[in-house]
Amino acid sequence: MGSIRRLGTVLGAASLVLGTLTVSVAATTVSASAATKFKACVVTDTGGINDKSFNASAWAGAQAAAKQDKNIVPSYLSSTSSTDYAPNIKTFEGEGCGIIVTVGFLMDASTAAAGNADLTQKFAIVDDAPVTKSKNVLALQYETDQGGFLGGILAAGMSKTGTVATYGGENFSSVTLYMNGFVAGVRYYDKKYNAKVKVLGWKPAKGACSLAACNGKGTFVGNFTDQTAGKTITTGDFSAGADIVFPVAGSVGFGSVAAAQQAGAGHSIMWVDSNGCVSDATDCKWFVGTVAKGVQPSVEAAVLAAAKGTFKGGTYVGTLANNGTQLEYGGIKVPSKLKSKIATAKAGIIAGTISVNPNKYPIG
Amino acid sequence: MTDTTPSVTPPKTRHTALVWMTSQSPIVVTVLALVLGFFVGAIIIITTTPAVLDAWRGLFHSWGAPGHAIKVTLDNVGAAYRSMFTGSVFDPSQLWHSITTGKGFDASLTPISETLTYATPLIIVSTGVGIAFQTGIFNIGANGQAVLGGIAGGVAGSMLHMPMILHLPVTLIAGIAGGMVCGVIPGVLKAFTGAHEVIVTIMLNYVVYAFLLFAVLSTAFQRPGQSNDISRTMDPSAQLPPLFGSTSGLRVSYGIFIALAVVLFAWWFLDRSSIGFDFRVTGANPSAARASGISSRTVIVLVFLVSGGLAGLAGVVQAASTTHYVDGGFLIGNAGIGFTAITIALLGRNRPMGILLSSLLFAALGVGGRTMQAATGIPLDLATVIQSIVVLFVATPVLVKEIFRLRAAKTQAVQLATQGWGS
Repeated sequence: MGSIRRLGTVLGAASLVLGTLTVSVAATTVSASAATKFKACVVTDTGGINDKSFNASAWAGAQAAAKQDKNIVPSYLSSTSSTDYAPNIKTFEGEGCGIIVTVGFLMDASTAAAGNADLTQKFAIVDDAPVTKSKNVLALQYETDQGGFLGGILAAGMSKTGTVATYGGENFSSVTLYMNGFVAGVRYYDKKYNAKVKVLGWKPAKGACSLAACNGKGTFVGNFTDQTAGKTITTGDFSAGADIVFPVAGSVGFGSVAAAQQAGAGHSIMWVDSNGCVSDATDCKWFVGTVAKGVQPSVEAAVLAAAKGTFKGGTYVGTLANNGTQLEYGGIKVPSKLKSKIATAKAGIIAGTISVNPNKYPIG
Repeated sequence: MTDTTPSVTPPKTRHTALVWMTSQSPIVVTVLALVLGFFVGAIIIITTTPAVLDAWRGLFHSWGAPGHAIKVTLDNVGAAYRSMFTGSVFDPSQLWHSITTGKGFDASLTPISETLTYATPLIIVSTGVGIAFQTGIFNIGANGQAVLGGIAGGVAGSMLHMPMILHLPVTLIAGIAGGMVCGVIPGVLKAFTGAHEVIVTIMLNYVVYAFLLFAVLSTAFQRPGQSNDISRTMDPSAQLPPLFGSTSGLRVSYGIFIALAVVLFAWWFLDRSSIGFDFRVTGANPSAARASGISSRTVIVLVFLVSGGLAGLAGVVQAASTTHYVDGGFLIGNAGIGFTAITIALLGRNRPMGILLSSLLFAALGVGGRTMQAATGIPLDLATVIQSIVVLFVATPVLVKEIFRLRAAKTQAVQLATQGWGS
């Protein structure tokens, strides 16, 4: 009878787990309250929702929308690689999401394919100039060269050594647009205030930049994750005479913060995408400012519009005028004189009297 | 009549089923490991879900509290595992809806289609790794081999142009060749210089990853008009078409038949072919193999060709059936099927059928985990935890035996799937 007793042990333990499983699988009715809720679903890129950068901002936007409208339930799926884009979108379609927010232009093709396959499904894609426009896809774009321009003025005005630097994660237009604006801002400052501040790390190509293409030569890490490389590049910039570095590389920028800490006072970092003094408060004293991208408010607006039924496909362009991009100050004190210079430039950009194309200014 | 024959105790055959079920047979151990995996998963859900914790915190607040806590616990754990099942196998209510209305069969078939899509490259690459393990060779470089296969297939698929009847086979063969090239290097190095294959294959992975970036950023292969690390799209004639047509939205492709053919080939190869016999003898006892005239050098090089070729095939099948391009992150990081393959081969005990089943299990957990996260907010990582725990228990049958008080199997104890370092 020993075997029967053993069998009992086995089956007892097994049924504990499998019982829960089968009973619950059998009862497949989804609770009624969930059906009437509006699901706001975010598919992140490989950075995940804790990248303290644009994936985090998109997720924060969905959560902010849920706070405003209690009927909205946010949920997210992280992509571990590009092979996850399509299945993640598909999973959310199966979940009956009211809107699917895809984060990053790398998901352009997957989003367009899914959007064209199901014209009733609403999509918003962050940071993408879509190749083909669809009625049910809203492309959220940000003219970050405007914010970068103000960042360039801030850096040029704050630099004691007369040299500032920037570098990017990868040579994407969404990255180089920031760098291009930054260079333009420094050149504008040099011309207007008769200064001689140099920029390392980005040489704009001829012609103007657009959201779809922004070419030039510069320093790139090759990814958005390698903080050691970020530290190496930044330390190199410091020894080349720069005292303010602007990393446009997501979490790689933490390597720059580490380099500034190592180099000590007098070295600072310009953060990118979302306010460094909020997302990384402990390092606030190393940030001279943040060139922010309005991912969170624009995602929030798209989700709320979809929940209300006022959603429209097409494009949204974030500018200084609509807070789609802006300059936020950090933990380092900025003289009020410089602040007013930046305010002047901001008004000029919004009015269209100041160009953010670096080729319009002489190299300082 | 005084028949005084003493009553004979019948031979103990009636309990054979019971004996088998409580014995330490590999299948029983695997199933119990699965049970343990889900059990630990349930504990993790309970300890990390705020709603469940809140319910238990209020345990002594009222008479109904304990019942409420148990209900909340079962609801949450149940919802998690239910969505895991409905997301990876089928959703009964959706299926019922499809049957009664005659509509929406696509939605009913989506979960199983996704599981098969996910499993296809896993089956192929794990079979290759399993064959190497059976020969006593650790192929830790299957991922690099798969990536190189993907690159070669991507190049052949996007830069050559010919009718499908030629193009698809050429693309697949290019992928196999790519994997073989990457596989034969550690093979030759081990056979002729004794360089340890674990070191060489691991390091070659990084060489291939760097080559991948180089390839997708090179003018010839990079997608025209793009500055980021993405390749040209493969011609439709080089793509593995979806099984149910391109309009159905079901992603499962003809690649699944390639995977099944690979399993069949592996079974024939290991159990029926003479080279396969040489492989297994070498794996079981290298000295005996040498003494009986099997050239260990030939076997080592051959096993790397087979294992690398299959890994390359997995890479090209992945590219040709799902993305239709390769990018800088192709099969790298968490998507590294070559590393998952090691655990799958272990779970499947290096046997083709076992590998087929474990690949399907891993795929179902991965796909179901996604639905679980989308529906309940419990992170997909739970699926990885369950996968890992299952493998952990399969690798340590003694633990399972102790937990469930199993008797020792009548046959030999569970054979260790692989030999030790340096064999």
